[in-house]
Amino acid sequence: MEPVHVETLAPADVPPAIAGKAESKSPTRIALIRLRQDRTAMVCLGIVVFFVLVAVFAPVLAAIEGQDPNKWNQDLIDRNGFPTIAMTGDHWFGIEPRTGRDLFARWVYGARPSLIIAGLATFFSTVIGVVVGLVAGFVGGIVDRVLSWIIDFVLSLPYLLFAIAVPAVLIAQFVGVNNATPDQVARVRFISLICVLAFFGWAGLARLIRGQVLSLREREFVAAARALGVPTRKILFKELLPNLVAPIVISVSLALPAYIVVEAGLTFLGVGLVEPTASWGITIASAQTFYKTIPYYLWIPVAGVTILVLALSLLGDAVRDAFDPKTRR
Amino acid sequence: MLTFLLRRLVSAVSVIFLTLIASFSLFYLAPTDPAGVVCGPRCTPQRLAEIEKTLRVHDPVITQFTGYVKGLFVGRDYTTGGVTQECSAPCLGYSFTLGQPVTKLIANALPVTVSIVLGAAFFYLLIGIMAGTLSARVRGTMLDRVVVAGTLTLSSIPYFVVALISALFVAGVILPGSEWVPITENPLGWAGGLLAAWVTLGIVNAASYTRYTRASMIESLGEDYVRTARAKGISEKRVVYRHGLRAAVTPVATIFGLDLAGQLAGAVFTETIFGLPGLGRLTIQAFSQYDLPVLMATVLIGAVALVTMNLIVDIVYSILDPRVRLR
Repeated sequence: MEPVHVETLAPADVPPAIAGKAESKSPTRIALIRLRQDRTAMVCLGIVVFFVLVAVFAPVLAAIEGQDPNKWNQDLIDRNGFPTIAMTGDHWFGIEPRTGRDLFARWVYGARPSLIIAGLATFFSTVIGVVVGLVAGFVGGIVDRVLSWIIDFVLSLPYLLFAIAVPAVLIAQFVGVNNATPDQVARVRFISLICVLAFFGWAGLARLIRGQVLSLREREFVAAARALGVPTRKILFKELLPNLVAPIVISVSLALPAYIVVEAGLTFLGVGLVEPTASWGITIASAQTFYKTIPYYLWIPVAGVTILVLALSLLGDAVRDAFDPKTRR
Repeated sequence: MLTFLLRRLVSAVSVIFLTLIASFSLFYLAPTDPAGVVCGPRCTPQRLAEIEKTLRVHDPVITQFTGYVKGLFVGRDYTTGGVTQECSAPCLGYSFTLGQPVTKLIANALPVTVSIVLGAAFFYLLIGIMAGTLSARVRGTMLDRVVVAGTLTLSSIPYFVVALISALFVAGVILPGSEWVPITENPLGWAGGLLAAWVTLGIVNAASYTRYTRASMIESLGEDYVRTARAKGISEKRVVYRHGLRAAVTPVATIFGLDLAGQLAGAVFTETIFGLPGLGRLTIQAFSQYDLPVLMATVLIGAVALVTMNLIVDIVYSILDPRVRLR
C-alpha cells in the first residue's frame, strides 16, 4: 500500500516524533504492526494457515496415510454396517459405518469445499460490493438512487430461505429432477451455493462503501485529482480505493467465517453439498445417529469446523481492532 | 411524520411486490417444465396433464402471474385427482407432493416458528441485557473480561454445532425432549417441548446481546446527563437503570427487531435439529421433493416478515429516539 493519504484517515494519530522521521507509515502498515503484536491473532492465524495447508495438500496427506476418500472398504464392515476396526495405523481416524470409507482422508478432503466456497463467495461478494458502492457513492444522482434501491431490496430478502430454494430450481432446470447423476447434482449444488452466498453477500458491503465514498469524495485530494484532469476510473481505484482498505478488510473478516458456517450448516441439513463430495457437514449429518457408538466419527469433523470458524472469527475480531481508528494507540 | 410513514409504506409494499415477481419468475417461469418438477418422479401422464392445466403452464406468462396474484387476494380452484378443490384467499398455491393447499401448510407451520422465536427472545433479552449491564458496570475488571471473552467465543462457534450438541446431549436428558404440542391443547406440554430449543437459541443469542448491551451501556454511562445524575446524589442503582440503561436499550431494541425478522425467516437450523415442524423445516422438506409451490410461498412469507419488521423498527426507532430525523 502506498503511504499517500495518511492524513485522510488519521491525522491526529501520527505523533510528531514519528512524523518527523523520513519513514512514514500508512494506516494499513500501522494496523499490520499492531496485528503482529496481538498474540491471540497470531495463534488464530496459525490455525487458519494449518487448515488451508490441510486443504491444499489433502491428496498428499491421504497418500501418506495410504487411503483414498472414496474407496469403499466393505471387508472392514460387519453385517450390521458397523466398522470392525476403530482408529488404527492404516485408518488414522477409523472408517465410516456402512461404506467403510477412510475418515482421515475424508476429513482432510472435507476442509476443501468449506474453504473454496467461503473464499470464492467472499471474493465475488467483495468485488461486486466494492464496485457497486464506489460507483453509487461517487457518481450519485439517478445511478445512486437505483443502486441504493437494489441494495435495500437485496438486503430485505430472506437469504437463508433463498439459499435453500434456489438450488432446487437450478437442479430442476439444468440436470433434470429424475435422471440427474449424483456427480451432476453435487456440481450444481457446489456452484449454486457460491452464487447464492455471493448474491446475498455484496449488498451490505456496498452500502458501507457507498457511505464512506459519500464523505471521501468531498475531500481535497479528490478535488485536486479532478482539477488535474484525472479520469474518473483512476480517481475511483487509485484515489478512493486505498482509503477504503479498512472497511473492506473488516467486511472480509466477517464474511469468511460466516460463509463457512452457512456452507457447513446447509450441507448438514442436506440442502448444501451432497455425496460424493467429501465435506464436514455431510460427515456430521451422517455421524449424528452414531454419536454413542462411534463418538470420534461425530467429534472429529465437528472439531474441524468449530476450530476453523472460531479461529477465523477471533482473527477477524483482532483485525477489526487493529484497523479501527478509534482504538488506535 | 405522515409523509415519512407513507413513503416507508410505499417502499415496503413495492419490495414485497417485487419479491413476488422475482420468486414467481424463479419458481414457475424459469424451469422449462415446472409441472413435471412439481409432479415428481412417479408421475403419470394423466396427473401431469392435470397439474399442467391447474398451473396453466400453456397460458401466457402474464395470465399465469395474474392467476397467482388473484389466488392471493380472491382465491382460485385447483384440480387434483379429478376433484376440484377450492383454495380460498390468501391462496399460496397447491402442494401436489403433499396433497394440501400451501396456505394450510404455512398456517400449520407458522405458530411453531413464532413460538420458538418469541420464547427464545425472552431468554436472550433477559440474560443478554442483565449480563451486558453488569459487565459495563464492572468494566475492566476480571469479571468483565471473562464475560467479553466468553461471549465472543460462544458467538463464534457455528450455531448448528451448538444446536446439534444440545439436541443430542441436553434435550431429553437434562431438559424435556423436544416436541411440538399446540399451546391451545396443552400449554405446559407446549412450553416443555420447546424448552430445549428456547434455551439453545436463547443462550447463543444472549452472547451477542450481552455484547450489544455492554457497548451501548458503556457509551450511555459516559454521557453528561449520567454525570449530572450522579452529581445530584441519586443512588447508583437509579443512575444505572433509570438513566443509563433506558438510553442504552434503544439501539439494542433496533437490533432486536431486525434479528426477530431474520429468525422468523430462518429458524431453519433450530427447527430441523430439534425436529419442530416450523417454516424452516417445511422449506427443507419442500426442497428435497422439489415442491416449488411450497418453496415459493416460504420465500414470500419470509420476505413479508422481514419487510414488515424493518418498517416497524424504523417507526418505533423514530418514536423512541427523537434525535432521528424523519426523512
